[in-house]
Amino acid sequence: MSAVTSVIDRLRTRIGVDSAAIAATVEAGHVRRFVAAIGDANPRWEKEAPPTFLVALAPAMLHLAEAETYGKGWLNGGNRFEYFGPVMIGDNITATGRVADVYEKPGSTGNLLFIIFETDYVNQRGELVARLRGTAIRR
Amino acid sequence: MNVQVGQELPELVKHPTTRQLVQYAGAQGDFYEIHYDQEYAKSVGLPGVILHGLLKAAFLGQLVTDWLGDRGSLKTFEVSYRGIDQPAHRYRCRGRVAKVDGEEVTLEVWGEDETGNRTTLGSATVRLHG
Repeated sequence: MSAVTSVIDRLRTRIGVDSAAIAATVEAGHVRRFVAAIGDANPRWEKEAPPTFLVALAPAMLHLAEAETYGKGWLNGGNRFEYFGPVMIGDNITATGRVADVYEKPGSTGNLLFIIFETDYVNQRGELVARLRGTAIRR
Repeated sequence: MNVQVGQELPELVKHPTTRQLVQYAGAQGDFYEIHYDQEYAKSVGLPGVILHGLLKAAFLGQLVTDWLGDRGSLKTFEVSYRGIDQPAHRYRCRGRVAKVDGEEVTLEVWGEDETGNRTTLGSATVRLHG
């Protein structure tokens, strides 16, 4: 078995396995720094988190050290957010991430490794408020 | 306001700086060196530091929420990163109404670099309040 095949096989064993949940409070100061960084002055964000803020609460990708033995760098391929309810300042959010898929695909300059991450965000009332799918690429 | 297929969203033009990338790295907690360390970025084959994909997503999210206002809620938002963008270059966010199905509206959104190349493609679905 080649080294590359074994890295992919090892990563594939993690598909569907939940990582440790991360709990975080949506803090007013954090949201203020986030909207200042993105340059969005909408007063709505004094009470509510903007659409992509969830990625600042908990890492959108799990740290997979062994994936870093493949290629020389990470690329973000894309992100998909699905919203079921608003995220308000003061909410306590629990984020649970998992690897949803791992596969290799030929690119223009050689093979690429695709890792699909999925994160569920649940609020203090137990309501699923959002789900994020992210495509991380090793090149 | 009447929402019709083909309507364009008011465009949003951003002027990202390296300072903003550092600010965003801190706010998001993403300290991958390709976003603030020129030498590191070059060592992995990039022309220099590049914008975070999720910063471009945040710009496009603003395009959508500015247009939507309090007329409805965002249901899905997705972006696909097709090219890199560097600070000190204008980043133009644009969009149009792609589909109207009762209260549900699908938007096509994209980010363009200075040459008009669409480096980020995305879509959003919103539900308008009845």
